[in-house]
Amino acid sequence: MANGFFTDTTVCIGCKACEVACKQWNQLPDDGYHFTGMSFDNTMHLGASTWRHVSFIERPVALNGSDTGFSWLMASDVCKHCARAGCLENCPTGAIMRTEFGSVYVQQDVCNGCGYCVSGCPFGVIDRNHDDGRAWKCTLCYDRQKDGLEPACAKACPTDSIQFGDVEELKERARKRVETLHEKGVKEAYLYGGDAASQPGTGGLNAFFLLVDKPEVYNLPPDPEVPTMRANQSWKSAGLAAIGVAALALVSALVGRTARG
Amino acid sequence: MSESLPGFLQIPGGAQIPAANDDGRNVDLQTGALSGEGAGQKPPGSRQDVGLQSQIFPHVPSHQPCETPTYYGTPVLKQPVWHWPIAAYFYVGGVAGMSATLGSATQLFGGREMRSVVIKTRWIATTGALVSTGILVQDLGRPERFLNMLRVFKLTSPMSMGSWILSAFSSAAAAATVLPYGPRVFRSLAGIFGAIAGLLGLPLAAYTGVLIVQTAVPVWKNPLWSVLALCSSTAAAGSLLELLPLNAKESRTVEVFSLAGKIGEIVTANAIEKDAARIDRVARPFHRGFSGLLWQSAKVLLVSSAVIAIAPGRSPKKRIAAGLVGTAASVCMRFAYFLAGKRSARDPRATFEQQRQTPAITAGQI
Repeated sequence: MANGFFTDTTVCIGCKACEVACKQWNQLPDDGYHFTGMSFDNTMHLGASTWRHVSFIERPVALNGSDTGFSWLMASDVCKHCARAGCLENCPTGAIMRTEFGSVYVQQDVCNGCGYCVSGCPFGVIDRNHDDGRAWKCTLCYDRQKDGLEPACAKACPTDSIQFGDVEELKERARKRVETLHEKGVKEAYLYGGDAASQPGTGGLNAFFLLVDKPEVYNLPPDPEVPTMRANQSWKSAGLAAIGVAALALVSALVGRTARG
Repeated sequence: MSESLPGFLQIPGGAQIPAANDDGRNVDLQTGALSGEGAGQKPPGSRQDVGLQSQIFPHVPSHQPCETPTYYGTPVLKQPVWHWPIAAYFYVGGVAGMSATLGSATQLFGGREMRSVVIKTRWIATTGALVSTGILVQDLGRPERFLNMLRVFKLTSPMSMGSWILSAFSSAAAAATVLPYGPRVFRSLAGIFGAIAGLLGLPLAAYTGVLIVQTAVPVWKNPLWSVLALCSSTAAAGSLLELLPLNAKESRTVEVFSLAGKIGEIVTANAIEKDAARIDRVARPFHRGFSGLLWQSAKVLLVSSAVIAIAPGRSPKKRIAAGLVGTAASVCMRFAYFLAGKRSARDPRATFEQQRQTPAITAGQI
């Protein structure tokens, strides 16, 4: 059993209550109060101190079933708690682990800030805090789940754009929601990371999304892949090359031996 | 509690809010109704609105219907957090590893007259391993926790494997270096530790390549980087040894080793660049910016160094020239691909286009 999020971006109103609730509950520091000038988005990306991030996309294109000629997409992004997590598999200290709730969790008393998880995440979620030196990301409110509560962002979401629960149950609900939207004419609705078949690179996401445009529009990679999938191949080429270099070293030694002194 | 402060309204529940019209916003705070001058104005049609906005802000990123969208051009990945000393570590660690490998091969098959170069390689290996450890520890976010690296033995993490390899390598190399100066009974062990260090030198030089392949960085996703890491280490170790005083036999050994490494490095680097060129955005760091300059310089220096090495003549000066150019080439190469990775991670289109054009390895192929 694994718990996760279903983020239905079609009902997101961009209120950022999830960002605020997350910051408050987890007592995260501020991001520096920058004004980016990019729509209503002033945090711009997930990071060490931003575990929920609402993206705002203004499009001069209407959604199917609407005649406005304009659409405003909002989506609350979060750590995906991948079924196969790049950060977890890359972590050399064992600081990143999978919890009993199926979430991916960084043990802050173990993390030594090597930064390898940062490069291992195909979504650019986890980041190292410059001042703190350790890697941080969404914990799926591990402490709240321990007490039987839902994560702060899901609790605070006024439109139920963020839904928390058992992943299988959420997937069922999400599929029905996509069908409903298709019936209403919003033909472009689809699930991002809903299962391993649609996203073989990660084996599916525990925090998946309902989107109505290309993933790139929301700053999500179209076909993410956990980097460990290339491990065998690269160790193999390294092994072959190592045999070659070992042979070269022996040949060099022999060539030197037979050289005239 | 029941008394209102001047200018504030008392609302049920005890809270006090500013009274309407006091702040000039023309909002009835109890009903939320707007009563300002323009409140009754009809909003412009959204189609016109879009047209107007596009005229005023022709470059609002999300307003440009584009075949390959990005989110305001912001990076999708986090760039590697490592600082430049890690690129230096790629070089130093590689030199240490491949020196030990050449040293143990020479120790086993080179004969008595090449004893002096064996000692030299051991010193290079030990010094290199110590410097490497220092660099790696200082680059951690929490350097005081460096021992956590040996907390688990994790096959899925090249960094965990690398930590174990470097620890074992340092110990073996140090033992091989120091034991000959110790009590007579231990002296014979030096050869055994030398051979162990030589064997461990191979994965030490190669794993940094595997480590960068196992990231989400577009330009680093080629398994050949591990081959390049090994070849570059071979060339670098050979080039460094070429700078030292050597006898004729040693010189021959080092020159053969170094030249083969350089040729391997050129071939692999070209293969990687050619593979990246399939997607223009992925290949960009090889041609643009500081990483591009370093990459192209590294290739030119490699070829020059190989040409010097192949040129006729056996003088030590020629050997030293080849060594100097070869060392510069190796250092350039390491910094080039380190910086290329950072640049590549910052470019969202590199990630998007790579994933659109080359499907992920599916679960069955793992």
